[in-house]
Amino acid sequence: MSGLSIQMPKGKKHFYQRITVLLCVTILSIVVIYAFFYLRHDPTLTNLDSRLFGMSLQHPLGTDQLGRDVLTRLLLGGQQTIGYSMLALFVALIIGVPFGLISGYKRGLLDRVFMRICDSFLAFPDTIVAIVLSGLLGPGIGNLVLAIVLVKWVNYARLVRSTVLSESQKDYVLIAHINGLSSSKIIRKHLLPHVVGHVLVLASLDLGKIILLISAFSYIGLGAQPPIPEWGSMLNESRPYFESRPELMIYPGVAIVGVVLLTNMVGDYLRDYFDVKKEVRE
Amino acid sequence: MILSVEQLSISSREKKIVDNVSLSIREGEWYAVVGQSGSGKTLLSQAIGRMLSPNLHAEGKILFNHEDLLSLSPKQMRTIRGEKLSYIFQDYQGSFTPFRTIGQHFEEYQIAHGIHHAKTRKMIAMEALDSVGLEESLYTRYPFQLSGGQLQRASIALALLLSPDLLIADEITTALDSVSGHRVLELLAKRQKETGCAILFITHDWRHVRRYATRLAVMKDGEIVESGGKHRILDHPQHEYTKQLIQAAPTINRGLPSGLEEAGSI
Repeated sequence: MSGLSIQMPKGKKHFYQRITVLLCVTILSIVVIYAFFYLRHDPTLTNLDSRLFGMSLQHPLGTDQLGRDVLTRLLLGGQQTIGYSMLALFVALIIGVPFGLISGYKRGLLDRVFMRICDSFLAFPDTIVAIVLSGLLGPGIGNLVLAIVLVKWVNYARLVRSTVLSESQKDYVLIAHINGLSSSKIIRKHLLPHVVGHVLVLASLDLGKIILLISAFSYIGLGAQPPIPEWGSMLNESRPYFESRPELMIYPGVAIVGVVLLTNMVGDYLRDYFDVKKEVRE
Repeated sequence: MILSVEQLSISSREKKIVDNVSLSIREGEWYAVVGQSGSGKTLLSQAIGRMLSPNLHAEGKILFNHEDLLSLSPKQMRTIRGEKLSYIFQDYQGSFTPFRTIGQHFEEYQIAHGIHHAKTRKMIAMEALDSVGLEESLYTRYPFQLSGGQLQRASIALALLLSPDLLIADEITTALDSVSGHRVLELLAKRQKETGCAILFITHDWRHVRRYATRLAVMKDGEIVESGGKHRILDHPQHEYTKQLIQAAPTINRGLPSGLEEAGSI
């Protein structure tokens, strides 16, 4: 068995899976990027004369209770939600991956100290941390991102550490070391590439969870503050009008579900992609 | 003396694993360390390069070119590793990073030791591959595209790249079939003659000892029970354990266990 031969998953099912994922990601990216350049309406401009309008050419998805264009808010909300989720994920990766790499490679006392730090962070559930932080620092999307980073980075540190721990036992790391390579070079060139696959899979699955978390906290008012358009807060704001205008809640709801599903599909796909063992099983 | 290990002990927190071992290796000789698995051979070899895992502690003196390796700073140690002292391991598949080509290994190794001219690096690498009988096209291949024998020969090329004074070969033929193993050892012997490096050869195969070693030491339970010239030990073992080991090893040829013909037997 060759050590690392990454190949495309074979078979028709995988082909369709790949096409679907690719298509959805492309569409989503186009929509979100498109929103940057093309805004027909100010997302925060209220106009009480045109509140709760239905679909029209001017407002393709109608207007909300303050007369703001729903489509514009939905698109911008997507940027907010996905953007902040990615930011949180990115910062968690920036902290977690090097932490895990160093901890797993150096081992010994440093590793033990690092892992106890991780344990202490793991002791707090993410919801509690987010609520406490917004209690201490005031509600806001920045604090929510901070709370998510504080909780999520540990997962990456631990994942990376365990991979590095098993890899650095292997002879090639020993040989790189004995050949006089510096630790930083060994970590970057010989260990980091092993980790990337695992981290990508976890990250893409995590993205969905983080999007849900941000939406949920915005829904209960601890995340994005009005008038920032955010899917969770849009859900919350249109709650009183649910009986007369249910689509105001349905639009952001569908958007959240769709994006979370998509990130899960990407995650599953990546998992299959990096799973070398699977080929042997089939 | 290129290397002399003086009263080296290696201990974990619970117990001593290698106990008061002393041995010395002369320039250009093939010194074999023989013993069962678990006798501490590998730990001994790792202690020389200060490669022990952090939970193990080494005491004593390891004089390499009259410098005590155990007292050097990590930075000084790094200049010795790879340049004056190099290793080849048993697991040929694990010896190369799976996602880097053979050429990248050569590149990196030379950059780490201050060879900055790209063309020189490539030339040295090609010569090295050539010297172990590998085709130059292997330079761009990945480790899993090579056979075990090829990989082990590539490790020899890499280990001898900067003409080290001492090469530590830790059971390098164990994972190979006997034909490839034989070729690898023949090659190593040839390269030793050309470069004049000393070899610390760790094995449990008496055939290799008989064929290549100049002197040897027999290890048991972390201690050296007997050491000396090959013929002396193989033909006239003093220690009970050595006698057992030699008797257990198969001999095909008539004559003495070391391969010498007994006087008057012809």
